[in-house]
Amino acid sequence: MSVQPLDPQTLPDHDNLPGNPHAYCVRLTGPLFVQTGRMIAYYPLGGGTIRFEPLTATSLTGMVASHFSSPLYSRDWVVANGQGHVLLGDRGYDINSYDLDEGNLTVRAANLLAFDAGLELKESIIPGFLTLIGTGKFLASSSGPVIFVEPPVRVDPEALVGWADCPAPSQHFDAGWMEHFLGAARGALFGTRSGEERQYDFTGAGTVLLQSSERLLEDPHVVRRLEGEVRQLGPGQLQHLAGVVQAQLQQHQQ
Amino acid sequence: MAWRLESPRVLVVELDGGKGSAVRAQTGSMVAYEGDVQFKNAGTGGGGGLRAAFKQRLSGESLSLMDITGRGSVHLAVGAGHVLVLDLAGDTLKAESEGLLCLSEGLRTDVAFTGLQGASSGQGLFTTTVSGHGRVALLSLGGPPIALRVGPQTPLVVDPDAYIGCVGELRQSFVTDVSWRNLLGEDSGEAFSLRFEGSGVVYVQPEER
Repeated sequence: MSVQPLDPQTLPDHDNLPGNPHAYCVRLTGPLFVQTGRMIAYYPLGGGTIRFEPLTATSLTGMVASHFSSPLYSRDWVVANGQGHVLLGDRGYDINSYDLDEGNLTVRAANLLAFDAGLELKESIIPGFLTLIGTGKFLASSSGPVIFVEPPVRVDPEALVGWADCPAPSQHFDAGWMEHFLGAARGALFGTRSGEERQYDFTGAGTVLLQSSERLLEDPHVVRRLEGEVRQLGPGQLQHLAGVVQAQLQQHQQ
Repeated sequence: MAWRLESPRVLVVELDGGKGSAVRAQTGSMVAYEGDVQFKNAGTGGGGGLRAAFKQRLSGESLSLMDITGRGSVHLAVGAGHVLVLDLAGDTLKAESEGLLCLSEGLRTDVAFTGLQGASSGQGLFTTTVSGHGRVALLSLGGPPIALRVGPQTPLVVDPDAYIGCVGELRQSFVTDVSWRNLLGEDSGEAFSLRFEGSGVVYVQPEER
């Protein structure tokens, strides 16, 4: 009924807390990249300190620059440095640790909690995903336990946590929906969506990681990425875009 | 005092009709009951008296409790939060008022000043204290609660957004790491953290508010 208190002697060195899949404990020995907002508590070893430095103001500039190759996400990450135990959590999602050995794995940016300095981070071609390359450990979260499947497979974009060792997915649209799209006038499209017409299509050999559901987060990077792309548009295209945004807003209000 | 958890999120309190089994619970937390049970507003200051009511009015730590008496069993739950049951033997529990689910008869509640904790997290500068001998049920609205022991050699730093409460002789201070402060205005939400020293237990939740 009560909860057994933990301390640095009883905390695991690199595992979920006992009986709690939603929290993870890492024993810090070297620099660790941590997404901001994911740290819930830490025990500095011997009463010292653990420093959480933003990537823009770290003492390890050279190491960070060579391991964190994503200007878009650099403001959301810090480097933890020092000795001690760090506890991480993420929206009550299940947290799992993954080992990479000269491998690569791509994971949803919002679901990546931390990775060690043996890995390099790069932005995936698919927006909202990050790729890790090298040898080391990282932590990722999922809404419910992770489901592993092998290609060929088509998955719902929201259920996708990540993929390893297989080519990046292509977008697939439901054939029935495409037929309708090609045949019908644009205006008649509303009301014909099942919500499942857009899928990610995986081929080749590898592993795809899925979660049972996704609580939709307003990802600030989607907006930032779009803002960057808007600059390439001409006045006519911008006006069209304004119309699309207006229509979408009206849909939300209904 | 027969308390049990029906599930991690539902507390069941058995009342035997005696004065000792009566409890105070958060107003509106009853989800079901059996038997001859009375629910009554605990009155001014959540039953803490006029002085507590006055402090609560000043501090915004409003505590809204109801007295539950009689004979039967009562199911208590709030917002599908996990329930954490603690036994107090003369210690003092500090928690946010909205995190208190149920208190056994004989425990005192009051409001205490905790320092400038609320400046960043929007949580109060004041905290509700529960002291005496008895049982108290706390709510963890963000996943199963985690208990972390603080000793003289093992201070603990906690994110204010994950903090639920603490028990024991603890000194609480702010960590305003210079490097963290640089993150202000960059949507980090972790510019300040709470440092606990002394000896006691701190309760946190894995999901941040």
